[in-house]
Parts: sequence; C-alpha cells; structure tokens
Amino acid sequence: MNGLLKPLAPVLACCGLLLAWQLASLGLKNDSFPTALESLRAIPPILTDKESLINILASLRRMAIGFGLALAFSIPLGLLMGRSRATAAFFNPLLMLIYPVPKAALMPIIMLWLGVGDISKTLVIFLGVSLPVIYHSFEGAKAVEEKMLWSGAAMGLSPGERLLRIVLPAALPEILTGCRTGLVLALITMVTSEMIARQSGAGNILFNALDMGQYDTVFAMIIIVGAMGICLDAAFEIVRRWLVRWSEPQFDMPLSFS
Amino acid sequence: MGVTPIRPGQLAGVSLGRRAATPIIEIEHVSQVFKTSSRRDHTALSDISLTVGEGAFVSILGPSGCGKSTLLYIVGGFVSPTSGTAKMKGKPITGPGPDRGPVFQEFALFPWKSVLGNVMYGPLQQGMKPAKAEALARTLLAMVGLTGFEKFYPKELSGGMKQRVALARTLAYGPEVLLMDEPFGALDAHTRTRLQNDLLEIWERDRKTVLFVTHSVEEAVFLSDKVVMMSRSPGRIREVIDIDLPRPRRREELLLDPNYQRYIVEIERMFDASGDNELPS
Repeated sequence: MNGLLKPLAPVLACCGLLLAWQLASLGLKNDSFPTALESLRAIPPILTDKESLINILASLRRMAIGFGLALAFSIPLGLLMGRSRATAAFFNPLLMLIYPVPKAALMPIIMLWLGVGDISKTLVIFLGVSLPVIYHSFEGAKAVEEKMLWSGAAMGLSPGERLLRIVLPAALPEILTGCRTGLVLALITMVTSEMIARQSGAGNILFNALDMGQYDTVFAMIIIVGAMGICLDAAFEIVRRWLVRWSEPQFDMPLSFS
Repeated sequence: MGVTPIRPGQLAGVSLGRRAATPIIEIEHVSQVFKTSSRRDHTALSDISLTVGEGAFVSILGPSGCGKSTLLYIVGGFVSPTSGTAKMKGKPITGPGPDRGPVFQEFALFPWKSVLGNVMYGPLQQGMKPAKAEALARTLLAMVGLTGFEKFYPKELSGGMKQRVALARTLAYGPEVLLMDEPFGALDAHTRTRLQNDLLEIWERDRKTVLFVTHSVEEAVFLSDKVVMMSRSPGRIREVIDIDLPRPRRREELLLDPNYQRYIVEIERMFDASGDNELPS
C-alpha cells in the first residue's frame, strides 16, 4: 500500500461500511433496521442529553474501576504463577474451570448476592478482564530468560526484587498484550452487565431504546459504544508502544482492535 | 622462552593458577546428576576436583555435553551440585553473589534498560550513588570501546556490542572472579577474534581471576594460563595443561610461535585419541 493510502484505509473502510449499511437498509425497508444516516442523526441528541451523558460516564467509571482492580490482581498472580510451579499447579485448574464460562452468565447469581448496583457490575468486568491478563502475565513470566535472572542474582537482587525488577519489566510486552485484550473485554462485559442489571449506563440506554422500539437510538448507541472501543484501544496502544519502546519489534496487528 | 613440553596434570585434585598463588576457588569432589524423564539418571559431572589460584586465567575446554557449563554454574551458585562442595575463598558456595560475576553466551542484558542503565545496575544495587555509578559505567564503556552508545537500547546493538556491554556490566560491580560461559560462542569469527584480543588486553591490565568455558582449542590456548580438558559421559577432568606462553600476548606474534601451534596440535590430538566423536573446533 502506498504512503498516502495507508492512513486513510481505516476511514475508507468505515465509509464503505456505512454506505453498505445505508443501501441494505434502503433495500430491506424494515422498521427495526434504520438507515445509517438516521442512526448517525440520532447520535447528537444522545451526546447532548445530560441524563445520557451521566449514564455513559457511570459506565466508563465502572469499567475503569473493574479494569484497574483486575490488573492490580491479575498481573502479580500471573507473574507468580509463571515463576513458581506450585502456584501455577494450584491456580491453573481453577482458571481452566472459569475460563470457558461467559462472565455475564454469572451476573444473575452475583446480582442475587450483591444486588443490581455498581458492585455487581464492576465484579463482572473484573472477572472478564482478569483471565486474559493472568494468562498473558503467566506466559510472559514463564518466558523470562533464566540467565537474566541469574545476572540479577549475581548483582545481589533477592527473589522478591527479581520478580519486581526483572520478571515484571521483561514480561511487560506480553502483559500489555493481555491488558489490551482485557480492555476490549471490559467494554463487552460492561455493556452485557448493564443489559442484565438495568439501572444505569450505556447498556441501559441501548436496551431501553430497544424495548421502546427507538431503533435509531439503538443503532446510535451501538456506534457510540464501538467508537468508545476504538478510542480506548487507540489510546492504550499509544501508551503500550511508549512503555515497550525498548522491546524487539513484534508483528503489528493490522487492526488495532481485535 | 624455549619450546616447552606439555606437562599433563593429574586427573583430579590439581592445583591451578600462578605459581604459589592463593587458591580462590576450590571444587571438591563435585558430582552433578540430572533426573531424566526416562528414569535413567544422567551424570553430567563425576567427581570433579579443581583448585583455581587467584589471578589465573583458566579455561575449561570440552565437547558439548561434557558438563563444562554446569561446572561454571555451580561455581556461580546458580546450580547446586548433587554431591561435593565448591568453595570461594574457603567458604562453601550456597548461592550467587557479587563476588562472582557471570558473562553468558546469551548476553542476558536487561532489554528495558539503556546501555548505560545496564552497566549502572549492579553498582546501584550495591548502594553506590547514582552520579558515581554513572561515572564508573562511562569509564567501563569507554574501556570496552562503546563510548557514544550509552543511550542505546540492547536491541539496537550487534551481538559483539551486546557482549561488550555484558562484560562492562559484570565488571561494574567488581566481582573477584569472572565466570565466562562460552561468551563469544554466538559471534561471527571476526567479531570473536576482536573480542578475544580486547578481553586479553583488559585482563592483562588487572589480572582478575577468570574461569572461561569454551569448546574452541585455539581460544583456550590463546587466552589461558591453564586449560582444563574435560571429557563427557560422564563429565570428568581428563587433563590439565599449563600454557606457558609469554604475556602480554599478541595474536600476530602467537600465530607464528611454534609453541602456540604445538599446544593447539597436541590438545587436538588428545581429543582425537579420546574417542569423543564430537571434536571441539
């Protein structure tokens, strides 16, 4: 691809998608499938409505807390598992058990225990983010070169210092790959948790609109959530690249959100 | 110095180092047995005894799989022997310590640290003031010929440059013994030769004790005071050979020196006779 086309490619892809949507919608003439233009027109009213903004910000706040707590818990656990066989032997079966369960499926039980408020939703986000982050931290810590740790030991670093000052930075590129997957999962679990426990949030707006047959608002919310995903991912990617600017170049995913 | 005959040492319990030098490393009846999945244990090292005198440059030479690196890791405290003891200055080695500095074939630099950061790491860990550690690191980097590369990350360096940084990083925390594990094994022939020359020049200046693992006969003869020849299955010391060549050594002089050539030919012949099918090159 030549130099001019490359940065424009994502924009062109979006325009193409919108055009296909517009044509399909015009062709199908279905009430529950508004055209792209109608949906786009429904975005400004949502973003200027105070109530909606409070909802969206509440979602983002829960997502940030869930994501942050998940990182604080999962990175140390993953690193320990990667460096200690006993820790890995203990936690691996538990994680394998939890892994295939859709985290949103736990929502009704969690709601039963903890209510429909922020705690339940944040917990679901926490669960959704934790697993990929644990897994990638584990893999990253496992792959740390033994000789690097030996070099640190010869300089007088204690086992704890080696975990913090050698394993953590050496595994950072892999950890951040997990965090990136975790960020997208945080967004997904955020919306699904609000679908099940309607009370506030972006998901609440979306599903209320669906109940009331306001399909342009439904699609507008889908676009807003999608745009939030792209922006968060792009911002995270900038941070990630800066943090691992020292690492050997790995293959870049053509799409930043995966 | 005339043509000196090669004097093979005893099989075990030989004393190495400069004449009457105080022993710094003592390896006593060390054996290392690895459990393998087939339940047949693999004896990597069998009853090794060796004493290295302070300030000696000693090479451990042997075919791959003779346990020469394992022996070095035991001295480093990275691996515990199955039986026997290794001592550093009379004290049994129980773990790694800054008195023994490793340099690995894989470089093992910290990739997230700059060249300067890597070399400063050990001194800072030991509580040296940052300004002083930086000055020391800059001096060492100049010594290994890397002035101007302080801000580079390891990924931006060639293999030879990485190994120069690794050497400076280890020298920075002032180990009494350098443990070099095939340090030039991953480098091309030209780079390897240059690093050998530079290492020799640095060593001849301050005469730190060096334990140097290699599978290259030429490298061992060129650098060392003593060459410890090992054989494998199980790993044993076969022969210890004094390399009685004048110092400072210059490669271009040595290559024309019949004594140097003789050492190489003799050692290669010994390997041939031993029936170790994989010859050290």
